[in-house]
Amino acid sequence: MPGVFLTAIRDGVKQHRLLWLLLGLLGLFPIVTSVADLPFWNDVAMRIMILGMAAMGLNLILGFGGLVSFGHAAFIGLGAYAVGISQFHGIDSGWLHTLIALGLTGVLGLVIGFLSLRTSGLYFIMITLAFAQMLYFFFVSLEGYGGDDGMILDRAEFAPFDLYEPLRLYYLIWVSLALVSLMLMMVIQSRFGLVLQATRSNAGRVEAMGLNPLRFRITGFVLSAMIGGLAGVMFANWQEYASPAIMHWSRSGELLIIIVIGGMGTLAGPLLGAIGFLLLEEFLPEIIGHIAPQYAENWMIIFGPMLVLLVLFVRGGLMGLITSRFRGGG
Amino acid sequence: MLFLIAAGLTLVLGIMDFVFLAHGSQVMIGAYAATALTAWTGNFYLGVALAIPLTFVFGLLLETLIIRHLYHRDHMEQVLASFGLILFFNELVRIGFGPAALFSNLPPMLSGAVTIFPDAPYPVFRLVVIGVGLLAAVMIWLLVTRTRLGALVRAGASNRTMAAALGVNIALLQRFVFAIGACLAGIAGMMLGPITTVESGMGEPLLILSLVVIIIGGVGSVQGAFIAAIMVGLVDTTGRVLLPHLLRSVMDQATADGAGPALASMLVYIFMSVVLVVRPRGLFPPKG
Repeated sequence: MPGVFLTAIRDGVKQHRLLWLLLGLLGLFPIVTSVADLPFWNDVAMRIMILGMAAMGLNLILGFGGLVSFGHAAFIGLGAYAVGISQFHGIDSGWLHTLIALGLTGVLGLVIGFLSLRTSGLYFIMITLAFAQMLYFFFVSLEGYGGDDGMILDRAEFAPFDLYEPLRLYYLIWVSLALVSLMLMMVIQSRFGLVLQATRSNAGRVEAMGLNPLRFRITGFVLSAMIGGLAGVMFANWQEYASPAIMHWSRSGELLIIIVIGGMGTLAGPLLGAIGFLLLEEFLPEIIGHIAPQYAENWMIIFGPMLVLLVLFVRGGLMGLITSRFRGGG
Repeated sequence: MLFLIAAGLTLVLGIMDFVFLAHGSQVMIGAYAATALTAWTGNFYLGVALAIPLTFVFGLLLETLIIRHLYHRDHMEQVLASFGLILFFNELVRIGFGPAALFSNLPPMLSGAVTIFPDAPYPVFRLVVIGVGLLAAVMIWLLVTRTRLGALVRAGASNRTMAAALGVNIALLQRFVFAIGACLAGIAGMMLGPITTVESGMGEPLLILSLVVIIIGGVGSVQGAFIAAIMVGLVDTTGRVLLPHLLRSVMDQATADGAGPALASMLVYIFMSVVLVVRPRGLFPPKG
C-alpha cells in the first residue's frame, strides 16, 4: 500500500512541476516575443493566462469536486462588469475594482452555490446554466451600462503601476495567475481540499464520517467563483471592454473544453488546455487557409470532430498523454 | 413546437441517460433537409415526406458512429462530444448552403389565415404546427405506455443490465430511441423553418429552452415535458407582453422598452430555478 501512496505523491509532484514549468515559460515569453519582434503573441499569451486562470478556478469544483458547473462564464462577466460599472461611477483604482469583483462574485457564488447544490448531476449542470443565463440577460437589460453592446472602458489604475506601460498588464496577469496557482496547490493539499476530493468519490462516506459535504462544496464553489471574478477583472482590463458576450453560455462551454483538453482534476491541466485551445484557435484557420483558403473561416469543422475524437480516445486530456508518456517511456 | 424538441430530447436524456447537446443541430438539419428537398422536388409535402425518414436515418448513423461509444462515459464527456458535434454541423451547413439564411415557402393552402375569433386572423400553418405537436404527443404517449416496444424501452431505462439479461437487445433499442429523438427534432425543424429562417446555429437557442423544459418537467418524463413546454411557453410569452407595460409604470419609456424583453427572457430561467429549488428533480419525475 505505501507504494501506491508514493507513486501518487510522485505523480503529484510531477504534475505540479509541469505547472511551474508552464508558468516560468509564460513569464519568460515576452523576452522571446520582443527578440523575435512578434508583439501580437503577447496578446495571445495574455488570453491564455486569463482563460487558463478561469479554467483553473472551475477545475477546483469540476475536477476535484466532481461538480459540472455550466455557468462559470457568468463570474468572469461579473468580474468584468465590476470594473466597468465602478469606472462608470468614477472609481478608477484597479485594486478597488478587484476587491469589488471578489466581493461580488463571492456573495453571488454563495447564493448561486447554495441554491444550485440542492440538486445534483444533470440538474446541477442545468441550474448553473440557468443562473448564468439570468445574469446574461440581466446585463443585456441594463441599458444604462451599455445593454447588449457592452461598455468601453480604460485600463484601471493599479497604483503604482501604469498598465499602459508596455508589459505591465502582462505581468499583472502573470502574477495573479501565479498566485492563483499557488493558492490552488495549497488548497488541494489542505484538509479542505482532501475532503472536497472525497466528496467527489463518495459523498455518503464523507457524511458518515461526520462532515457535511454541502459545506465543502459551497466553499469550493465560492472559491472558484471568486477566481472567475479575478479572471474577469483581468479580462476587462485586457480587452478594455465589458459586454454580456463575455458571459454567453458558449464561453462556459469553452471553459469546459479547455479543462477536458488539458485534463480534469489536475492543477496544470486547465492551463495546458488553455494553451492548446487558443493555439488551435489561432493556427487552425491559418492551416486550413493554406490548404483551402475559401474555408479558413470554417475552422470549427475540424475542431468539432477533433473534440469528439479527443473525448472518445484520449482519456485525461493532454495531461493524460504527458503522464502516460512519462510512465510508458520509463 | 418546443414540445417536439423537448420530447425528443427527453427520450434521449432520460430514457437513455445520455446528455446530448447536439439536439439543436438535429433541428437545424431537419429544417435544411426539408427546405432543400422542397426546392428539389418542387413540392412542400413531398419535401417534408422525404425529409422525415432522412432525419431518422441520420439519427441512426450518428448513434452508430459516435454516440454508442459514449454511453458509459460521464456526463462531462458527453457534453463535450456533443458540443464538438454542434460546431461541426454548424460549419458543415455553412459550407454546404452558404452563410446566408434560407427561407422556405409554404404551399398556398397552408399560408393563408383563418378567422377563429372575430377580427383575429390566425395563420393556418401555426394551426398545423399545433396539430403536429399534439399528434406527436399522443403518439409518443401511446408508444411508450401502450406498446411492447415502449415497455422494453422503459425496462431498459430503469435497469439496463437486468433488461439485457432478460434477452432484450439494449443496443438496438437505444439506437431506435435515439433515431426517434432525432426524427422528432427534425420534424420540429421542418415546422420551424417556415416560421423563422433556416440558418446555421438556428437550433441552439431552442436547445437551451428545451433543456429548461425537460428539467422543469423532470428528466425522462414525456408528460412532464408536455406540461412544462406549455408552462414555459406561457411564462415566456406573457412575460414578453406584460413586463414592458409593468416596467413603464415605474420607469421612463426608453429604459422600460430596453429592459423589458431581456427581463422577460430572464423570467424563464427564474421560473426554472424556483422549480428546481423547491423540487430538485423537476415537477413530474418519472416513477421508480
